[in-house]
Amino acid sequence: MGALQVLIMANYLGIDVGSITTKLVMLSESGQVLAKTYLRNSGRPIEAIQQGMEDILAQLGKTVPIDGVATTGSARHLAAYLVGADLIKNEITAHAIAVIDFLPEAKTIIEIGGQDSKVIVLRNGVVVDFAMNTVCAAGTGSFLDQQAARLGISIEAFGDLALKANHPVRIAGRCTVFAETDMIHKQQIGHSVEDIVAGLCDSLVKNYLNNVCRGKEVLSPIVFQGGVAANRGIHKALEKELEASFIIPKHFDVMGAIGAAKLVKRARPSETKFRGFDLLRKSCSTRGFECGECENQCEVIELLVDHQVVACWGDLCERYRYAQKG
Amino acid sequence: MKVTFPHLGSMHIFCKAIAETAGIPYIVPPETSRKTLTLGVLHSNESICLPFKIILGNFIEALQMGADTIVMVGSGPPCRLGLYDLVQRVILEEMGLHYRWLTIPPRLTWQAIWKNHEETKELRKELSAKNILLFPYGLWMGWKKMIACETLEQLAMKVRPMESEKGETQRRLKKALSWVDEAKTPRAVEEAIRKGESLLQDMKQDHSRIPFKVAIVGELYTVMDPHINRGVEQKLGELGVEVTRTSWFSTHILRTLRKNKADQASERVRFFEASKAYLGYDVGAECNVSIGEAIWRSKEGYDGVVHLMPFACMPETTASGILNKVGKDWDIPILTLILDEQEIEGRIQTLLEAFVEMLEWKRRAA
Repeated sequence: MGALQVLIMANYLGIDVGSITTKLVMLSESGQVLAKTYLRNSGRPIEAIQQGMEDILAQLGKTVPIDGVATTGSARHLAAYLVGADLIKNEITAHAIAVIDFLPEAKTIIEIGGQDSKVIVLRNGVVVDFAMNTVCAAGTGSFLDQQAARLGISIEAFGDLALKANHPVRIAGRCTVFAETDMIHKQQIGHSVEDIVAGLCDSLVKNYLNNVCRGKEVLSPIVFQGGVAANRGIHKALEKELEASFIIPKHFDVMGAIGAAKLVKRARPSETKFRGFDLLRKSCSTRGFECGECENQCEVIELLVDHQVVACWGDLCERYRYAQKG
Repeated sequence: MKVTFPHLGSMHIFCKAIAETAGIPYIVPPETSRKTLTLGVLHSNESICLPFKIILGNFIEALQMGADTIVMVGSGPPCRLGLYDLVQRVILEEMGLHYRWLTIPPRLTWQAIWKNHEETKELRKELSAKNILLFPYGLWMGWKKMIACETLEQLAMKVRPMESEKGETQRRLKKALSWVDEAKTPRAVEEAIRKGESLLQDMKQDHSRIPFKVAIVGELYTVMDPHINRGVEQKLGELGVEVTRTSWFSTHILRTLRKNKADQASERVRFFEASKAYLGYDVGAECNVSIGEAIWRSKEGYDGVVHLMPFACMPETTASGILNKVGKDWDIPILTLILDEQEIEGRIQTLLEAFVEMLEWKRRAA
């Protein structure tokens, strides 16, 4: 009975630290989302992770035992060192896993986040192809963010404003830096903000389709997720361009974290490496220094928890990492 | 006279061997670092590709260390690379650096031989009779060391997915290559290969693994130099992939010499032929070969292809579009990685991990 009790009680924490936002999800053994949080990093991922843990605790109302922790996203290694993770997984796989459980018949996942946009092609519940922007972050949310700020409108209102447009303006979509030039020109000759905002959505969508989806087989059912899925302007423009309607999951904004939690649930670590919720009351910081041993002049980062170095990275030759391992 | 050459893949090892054996003073440029890249970026046109910037950085560092003669491989149009040597010469001159330039012709034509004759006219005056007499022997030592490096690198690609401790193959390969570099006689080179091979083979390995087979194709400097491609070959190997590639210095030299009978060179002819199903003519550089190789690798039962290209590379941009179709037509996963000066190691790691996981799913479904 005792063992069964533990099994029922099992909880898994998924942490997705992206470039702009941090997402945390607490998953039960049955795969139910017990708590979730989505917050901006504001350039401080460590604080965001601590804040996220606090949010999760507040939603649960009490400390619960954790049976496994997984991290994903571009700061997955930083997050893993910080919280003590049992599993570190790339965000492409994490997103795919979350969707396969949510909608097994899905054939395409469109995920647009802050700095990343991806397309994942699924067939029979298996990833068969994918693409992600590499050197250029043109078709992503952070550009919308900047433009919204420039126009003095909140990003939340941005999408709805686009829907009010009568004649969306044509904006060059090759590159966001070019797009901005074009956009300012349209603004200066008197186009309305609604039309410009709608034009911007069209341009971002074309950029995404040309850069990321080029040559990929985008078939329905299509699942649309990531922070930008909340933007109704982009949603409409994408559907129009692809001549398809999308399925947006209820937890569209935290799918990566859900995927990570599901993966650690499957892996069933016998004992978790999780440092515990106490972490949010500890002082956590990083310290950087430039190594002068060779011409690479690596910027080495040390992670400190309670003023003790717990991890270190950034050294191409790995000399400090070795010293750390002892 | 002090000659220098790019620090590209193992090129510095065999170029050094030629100069050293012939008794010609030389300067090996420092290993490509962030400083190299910064120098290259600062002095070149913003829109030019990453290999150009890194090689230019190598030259600047070597000239600042006192080199006065640059030896560089030339190449042909229509790729911008065809103008590499010409543009780099203009940039270095404008920087006020003084040097002489010697092009190794990409194709042996009368015109190339004449150009070489003109370029070496002055240089030959500085060489002693001993230098000139020893030069053929130097070339032979260079060739031997090049083959030695490639033999060891190919072995490392085979054993890396089996290594029990991550990173061990790379550490051992580095040591083995340094033995080749230090060897002074043909016998010592043979000895270095033998010692290097056993160093790599004697490593602790897990033979229960069944590695995936992946071919790396694409722009040749990007494929050959780990500083340009951010260690893709090593990263893939450490994820459990046995990597193959056909771009080696020896392949390209044999192709130049029209020694197509050699296995690797004739393989490239085969790739070129296969690309004709998609391309009517020679796009230039490696474009046709990248496409043809992907087709053949699928026929040979490979698990996937990783296509490497510098950002804005014209021939490979053409290839990447066609490779999307090749992947579908021949049912082989193909991942294109675009490289530029940004530090995108993390992003590359993410893409490679996801790619290998996709291969795992495919294997499990089969």
